[in-house]
Amino acid sequence: MEVRSGVNVADTQQSQKQHFHVLAVDDSLTERKILERLLRESSCKVTCVDSGDKALEYLRLLDGQESDSTASSSSTQSSQQEELKVHLIMTDYSMPGMNGYDLLKRVKGSSWKDIPVVVMSSENVPSRIRKCLEEGAEEFLLKPLQLTDVNKLQPHLLKSLVHSNKDISSCTDNDNDNIIDITMINNNKVISKRRAVSPEPLETITKMKGLAVV
Amino acid sequence: MDGVVQLQKQLVDYSASLFDEGILDEQFNQLQQLQDESNPDFVVEVVSLFFEDSERLLNELGKALEQQTVDFKKVDAHVHQLKGSSSSIGAQRVQKLCIGFRNYCEELNTEGCLKCLQQVKHEYSLVKTKLETLFKLERQLIAAGGSIPT
Repeated sequence: MEVRSGVNVADTQQSQKQHFHVLAVDDSLTERKILERLLRESSCKVTCVDSGDKALEYLRLLDGQESDSTASSSSTQSSQQEELKVHLIMTDYSMPGMNGYDLLKRVKGSSWKDIPVVVMSSENVPSRIRKCLEEGAEEFLLKPLQLTDVNKLQPHLLKSLVHSNKDISSCTDNDNDNIIDITMINNNKVISKRRAVSPEPLETITKMKGLAVV
Repeated sequence: MDGVVQLQKQLVDYSASLFDEGILDEQFNQLQQLQDESNPDFVVEVVSLFFEDSERLLNELGKALEQQTVDFKKVDAHVHQLKGSSSSIGAQRVQKLCIGFRNYCEELNTEGCLKCLQQVKHEYSLVKTKLETLFKLERQLIAAGGSIPT
């Protein structure tokens, strides 16, 4: 797709952005409300659940559901089942029952393992942070969350969207749309200064940053 | 027009006092920034949820600390939740008291916990009253045809 005018690109950007679906997991009603607003401010569609179990149920990972599940980050369609797309999971660490770390482990050991998972906590515990990052969390965010924290998630969302779009048997146009979007979003949003060109350096920096929060 | 200017000044001064007195912190500003034409009542909605959450938790705390054998893990879990939600809306004094409260839980100190609960209830009541007043001033300003200064 050729970029003919700013309006065209903005439209594409808007429609692509609306495809970001975040699953937010937090046992606090107040905090769910704020998180949902923050994510919608970043043009994400949000599904909120109040526990790890509900999150697993939503992802169709509970025992009994798994055998039926064809859900994944790819867009391979099952003719019977509606495709479930989630681009990012954000979970609180301290929750009654299954905590954020347990949820992270379950997700990383499932068909959803390629979905970025971000863990949040009000407590700055280095060993906890390290544990989560080692288990595969993309980021560990300290609460209370602000818009700048949510902006840091853009690269992960884009990566997830691009990753899922790659599986669509589509014409070249779609790929070009993604590239344009990445450029536009990076230019418009205030992301953290460590803006990576490729995913790897950002992840490394993110993980190091997580560990450095003492 | 004078009326609107007066109301606006009243609101600005009142709001500033809440920050000066440490009742609210920067996080409350963050919430206000998330309020816009598409989300015109966001702050009131979040704060209402906070009131709901807090009242439930304070209730639970009272009951838990009345037990013959206090389950400090349970008490701590409730305080942790209260600390989290108060922090998320910027209710600074409530949040700070929760930190001390958790220390008493760790020490398995019932008396210390009860004392903290009283203090938290007092500070919660204060922030609730203050926020309700703030929202009332905002409504008055809007009803008089003014707009809330950002």
